[in-house]
Amino acid sequence: MKAAALIAIAAAAYAVTAWMVAPGFYDGIAPVQPYNWVSPPPEFVNSNLPPASGHQVIKVINGVSEANTAFTNDGQVIFYFLPGAFNSTGLTTITVDIKPTASFPDPGPYHFSTNVYVVTASAPLAKPISVTLRYSNGIPAPSDVYYSPPGGGPWQVETATQQSQVFTLNAAAPNFGYYAAGYPNSAKPSSVTIGSSLPIVVAAAIVLVILAGIPIAVLRRRGGKAVDEEADAEKQ
Amino acid sequence: MRAAAIAVAALAIEWARAMATMQPGLAIGALALGGAALLVTAWGYRPADIGLGTSRLPFRILGGVALGAVLLLPAAARTAAVPHLPASLALAAVAVSIGEEVAFRGALYTALDEFGGAPLAVVGSTLAWTAAHVLSHPPEFLGAVAAAGLLLALWRWACSDLVAPIAGHVIADLAL
Repeated sequence: MKAAALIAIAAAAYAVTAWMVAPGFYDGIAPVQPYNWVSPPPEFVNSNLPPASGHQVIKVINGVSEANTAFTNDGQVIFYFLPGAFNSTGLTTITVDIKPTASFPDPGPYHFSTNVYVVTASAPLAKPISVTLRYSNGIPAPSDVYYSPPGGGPWQVETATQQSQVFTLNAAAPNFGYYAAGYPNSAKPSSVTIGSSLPIVVAAAIVLVILAGIPIAVLRRRGGKAVDEEADAEKQ
Repeated sequence: MRAAAIAVAALAIEWARAMATMQPGLAIGALALGGAALLVTAWGYRPADIGLGTSRLPFRILGGVALGAVLLLPAAARTAAVPHLPASLALAAVAVSIGEEVAFRGALYTALDEFGGAPLAVVGSTLAWTAAHVLSHPPEFLGAVAAAGLLLALWRWACSDLVAPIAGHVIADLAL
């Protein structure tokens, strides 16, 4: 009885504490840094910080732009440039700017899981580049990276690969313009709207763990104080 | 003495693993290696000493499913969409789950129980488990981590069982 009461209290304590930090328990796999949203989902409104922009100056040496990266200061977007990635004739430096934006072309059939970023540069591209987008661990993972040209236009899918760094997607970046990660609307997970259901969750947690624990605790008591039947067998 | 050595070793492994996980490209390897390294803390114990065994296995598995459900309930009810663990991290997550349970609710719990009894084992293993997550979790998550650790430690005490905490932990990590 005492054990059941203590387990019930612990289950309730977990339900309450986890409720306050959606989605609750993680095991070192969650990103330490929360995602910074332009327009945060409701559950992140109170804790949200504005996303950062990025600016990079890339040197041009002997007519060839250096290998470099451009990234936002919160690390949510990184563009990778190979040597000679830019058409840099007559230039000594090239600037790249990345900005989160609330104004972007209609996403159409896609749902964006990240901010939309617009990237611009002072020179056109001469070689393919790639982009890494970080996403929030508090929402469904995106499956694709989407691109829209600078003047607007339909979003196109850039096949993404999961990075070994958690909660990031990598994809080829065809040009400068708008970038976001997301998934087709048709793949949107069904939502579970339970409203203010903390008491139900707490009660369910207690019932679940107590019901599951009773048989094993009863059987253990019937078997005596031995830690386990295996332990008994080995001691004999 | 043994409990202190196990606690220090488990914390060192967990903190090293957390720091390595933050480095680009090292996440999967750090998680898998860290999980395997935690198993070493149980060196010298028989499986039965740390709550492992096959007796009452269906009940233990059922208990694990229930614990996993409890750990996932707030996420399932609180958010419209539960986050997805990337498939590439699944095996690494399993390794970490098993390693942490063996180290904290297995070896450390048993060592503390031998030294000072069950209350010390429950409280001590929960505190060490929470401290182990200081580097990998934002401060606001530590309350949930501590409560999860307390729940799993109390199960270990009440049922003398580590199979259910392992199963529940694995389920929770795979889902999140």
